[in-house]
Amino acid sequence: MSSDRVSLYGFINAKLRAKIGLMRQSKVIENLLHASSLVEAVGVLRDSKYHAVAEAYDRTGDLQQMELVLLGMEISMYKEVARYLEGSSADLINHLLEKIEIDNLKNTLRLWYSSIMRQRPIRHRSEYLFKEIILYPIDWTALINATSWDVVGESLKDSPYHATVTAFSEQDLQQSGLFPLETALDRMWYVHLMDCVKTLKKADEEVATSMFLLEIDLRNLIMLVRYGWYHHMDADAVKKLLLPWGKVASSKETEAYLRQNASERNPHSIINRYYPGLEQETVPLHRESTNYDEASLLETLKIEGYLAERRKAIYQRMLAQDPFTIGLSLSYFFLFKEETSMVKAILNGKYYGYEEAYIRGVLV
Amino acid sequence: MNLFTRPMKLLTAVVLEQTSDRVVKSLLRLGVLDFVHINKLDPGQMEKLSFRQSSVSRSALQDMRHRVEALLKQGHITVPTSEVLDVQNLEKPQLEAFKKTLDDLTASLLSLKEKQKESNQMVMGLEEMQRYIKEDKGEYLDLRVGQITKGRSEDLKEKIAAFGGLLESVENTDLWISLTLRRDVGQVDPLLEKFGWMESSDVQLQQQAISMIKDQLGKEHDAALAEREKIEKAVDEMVSSQQAQLFAIWANLRLNELSDQIRSYFAYTRNTTLFSGWVPTDQAEVVEQAIIQASEGQCVIEWTDARQVPRNEVPVAVSSPKILAPFQRMVNNYSTPEYGSVNPTIFVMIAYLCMFGLMFADVGQGLVLLLVALLGKYGYKKNPLKKDGMISRNLTDLLIYLGISAMIFGALFGSYFGLSLFPAIWFNYEAVVAGHGGDGSLITDVYDILGLTVKFGIIVIYTGLVLNWINLFRKKSYLQLTLDKNGLLGGVLFGTGLYMGFAFVESGYQSFPSDPWIAPVLAVSLFLLLIRGFLAYYISVKQGGKRHDLGTVTMDAILEWFIDILEIFTGYLSNTLSFMRVAGLGIAHASLMQAFKELSSLVDGFGGVVIFILGNILVIVLEGLSSGIQSLRLNYYEFFSRYFTGKGVAYQPVGLKNSSSEQR
Repeated sequence: MSSDRVSLYGFINAKLRAKIGLMRQSKVIENLLHASSLVEAVGVLRDSKYHAVAEAYDRTGDLQQMELVLLGMEISMYKEVARYLEGSSADLINHLLEKIEIDNLKNTLRLWYSSIMRQRPIRHRSEYLFKEIILYPIDWTALINATSWDVVGESLKDSPYHATVTAFSEQDLQQSGLFPLETALDRMWYVHLMDCVKTLKKADEEVATSMFLLEIDLRNLIMLVRYGWYHHMDADAVKKLLLPWGKVASSKETEAYLRQNASERNPHSIINRYYPGLEQETVPLHRESTNYDEASLLETLKIEGYLAERRKAIYQRMLAQDPFTIGLSLSYFFLFKEETSMVKAILNGKYYGYEEAYIRGVLV
Repeated sequence: MNLFTRPMKLLTAVVLEQTSDRVVKSLLRLGVLDFVHINKLDPGQMEKLSFRQSSVSRSALQDMRHRVEALLKQGHITVPTSEVLDVQNLEKPQLEAFKKTLDDLTASLLSLKEKQKESNQMVMGLEEMQRYIKEDKGEYLDLRVGQITKGRSEDLKEKIAAFGGLLESVENTDLWISLTLRRDVGQVDPLLEKFGWMESSDVQLQQQAISMIKDQLGKEHDAALAEREKIEKAVDEMVSSQQAQLFAIWANLRLNELSDQIRSYFAYTRNTTLFSGWVPTDQAEVVEQAIIQASEGQCVIEWTDARQVPRNEVPVAVSSPKILAPFQRMVNNYSTPEYGSVNPTIFVMIAYLCMFGLMFADVGQGLVLLLVALLGKYGYKKNPLKKDGMISRNLTDLLIYLGISAMIFGALFGSYFGLSLFPAIWFNYEAVVAGHGGDGSLITDVYDILGLTVKFGIIVIYTGLVLNWINLFRKKSYLQLTLDKNGLLGGVLFGTGLYMGFAFVESGYQSFPSDPWIAPVLAVSLFLLLIRGFLAYYISVKQGGKRHDLGTVTMDAILEWFIDILEIFTGYLSNTLSFMRVAGLGIAHASLMQAFKELSSLVDGFGGVVIFILGNILVIVLEGLSSGIQSLRLNYYEFFSRYFTGKGVAYQPVGLKNSSSEQR
């Protein structure tokens, strides 16, 4: 067993550790933040591993084309790691890649919804979608050009998303928008994820379970804050959004939190119950301020930022643990994804001319 | 080339403040002074001195320089190097004016980029329709032929363009062709209706419409693409038109950064400026003259010999000829040698090339390495902007040596692409590996090859020991020189061990030698090793070190002795046997070539040649890489561990051409 783990993870871990080392040495994010315009930010990318993104900017001047290149890099990264693994470990990596596919599907459906249901021209925007095969043979072109909901379902017929998507009717979408469908797709992914984790070998299963349960707890907390507090959603609707794993979903604190009147809920107490340390002083201040919406949004962002920091700390701790498990690969994905998300966010910030301090504030 | 690290001298100078600018320029131009903060030399004197904040922060200068570099890169212009720097042009930076220039240029570029984005979006929209036509996916397109009975056709054209569609008239008729995407039909239908669109009943025309609009689509696409490329060029041209100004700003900022860097080491009294730094002894006179000249003789210069300063504080400058650069890089990559010690570069070169040659001995394959290196060098020389590829600039330098080494050893062992085209000068390696060792030769089987590489290892280890003894002698570390495991005592024990080992092998692995001198030598050596701990403590106390009770000192000495014995017996043995890898890889190289030759002989004609060539390529890549890595490993672990402490501090002078100055 032990030698199997070494032969399975030895090479990929050495490779990923080297990449993580380079990632840590790299000052790309700091230099990007420091750049005083998009042109200069692109200059930072030119000499980094993101040079292809800079080349896309040279060729097109288009920020979304740069994002498409970044997405392509992310997909290649998952595929590369999966290639070096085998069996249930490779299946898990592919399942993680499925999340990117689902996000791409959600983006495509949003665009389709905008075009067909809302009758808004999408013009060239369909060209910003990733249309190559990510994991399953989805006909992305047919999907974005579908003139009816049935054709949308048809384009997904060879993918596991078909049943989830076709469970919704055109009328459902007209009435409730895409949110329930998107949530259903996410839930489906998590259900498959937990099934996939069960097929792993014991050591991997333990590592992956602990990491994903933590992910689920953080996601549930974000749902409780975003929809239970910021959007004042009623308790039953919020409950439906919670994933049924981890400590948060089934806890007494969550029950108590949701029992409260939507306008009286306090997200700090429930977060501090699981991850102590979130400061509370800004909530009443913001709630009394004149621009309530903006204050609440900033507060939500702050809480989400805090939870993201906690997640980051846990993933980084994972790097110091047993090297011959799936844990290192999961940490690498997290760090890589975090970095590319930051690159995207900073480039957008620079495009819209935000100051360095403001972008930093939003990133944290 | 110095056999040892370059001797250094510490300069301390006082100049009048009004001449300090000129002095800075002179020092910058020379670029040989590795500055030290005055407070490091004599903290007691600091009360009488003051330090000044520079009027412009260095980070502000750096940030602005990075802005300039980013703009140049956006225009695909190479960032200037120190070649453009001239200290005569060192003037106060006009940061506000610079900022305005950069802001204006950035704003213009962003505006061009926004236009380029719009062109790109147009290209994308047109490409999508072109693709559907090309891939015969007409079901995604909405193509119509008809008449416009209400409103102006220009208005409809504009509105259809908002959907990314096209509206074109049919020549010599009042008919129009409309091409949009079917997914937009829900919005296009009411639009056409608004303009009183009357669908044509001409079936033939309906069928021809696709080819008619296809041409127009192509033209529109080409025009949009050309526009996008034109803007891309315009971006380059815009930056290019300001290149001279950007270079001037860059040079000014860089000079001010360096000047500020030098000034950050300055200390001041009311009228004078004080500074200090290390200079290689051979440059001392030049530096002194430069300061005297710049200060018009109104200066005080004092030199301190490196011997008066703790060795670990003296920066280490190693001078090797340019030709040894690849091996100098290997040394630098490991660490900086201690001040006053042997410069290991030339020894590394000899050891590395011998190791590589022994593992990768083939004239033909060596020639391939040499050709690859020369072609790579030519490519980089021809295109200086080319980024380093898998075979980097540094690697091409090294490959030249490796190619030559492989060729020399190949000739010694008679291997030419694995073939014995000419008789071996020394012995036929491949024949020995195959069990057909030549008669009369000293090397007849693989054991002889193993023995040969072990003996080579012994030479390398002893060379390391001798270099260590020289270093210790120069350091006046006589106790270490005599009684350390890497000192003379270690050498004696290693020699004794070798004698016993070879005798054991000669006896057919039956018995160790029983010479009467062995036991006394071992006993005395081990005793001396034991008393080393006590002697070291005695010397330390004599030099003012901390006193301990006898029990502690004895325990320490015994523990150290025990560890030393373990290290000597296991360390020397493993270090020596480690060189058997040289034989291992050499044998693998010969065996692989033999295997590929046999494989190719099984296939007649062209197939055989292909196998032979592919075999050679595989061996060159895999064996070349392994041999290179193993040689490096043997140098770093087996050779360096004997004499290279790596405790030195690198000499980093501040000057126009010193890349290190930017990192400070």
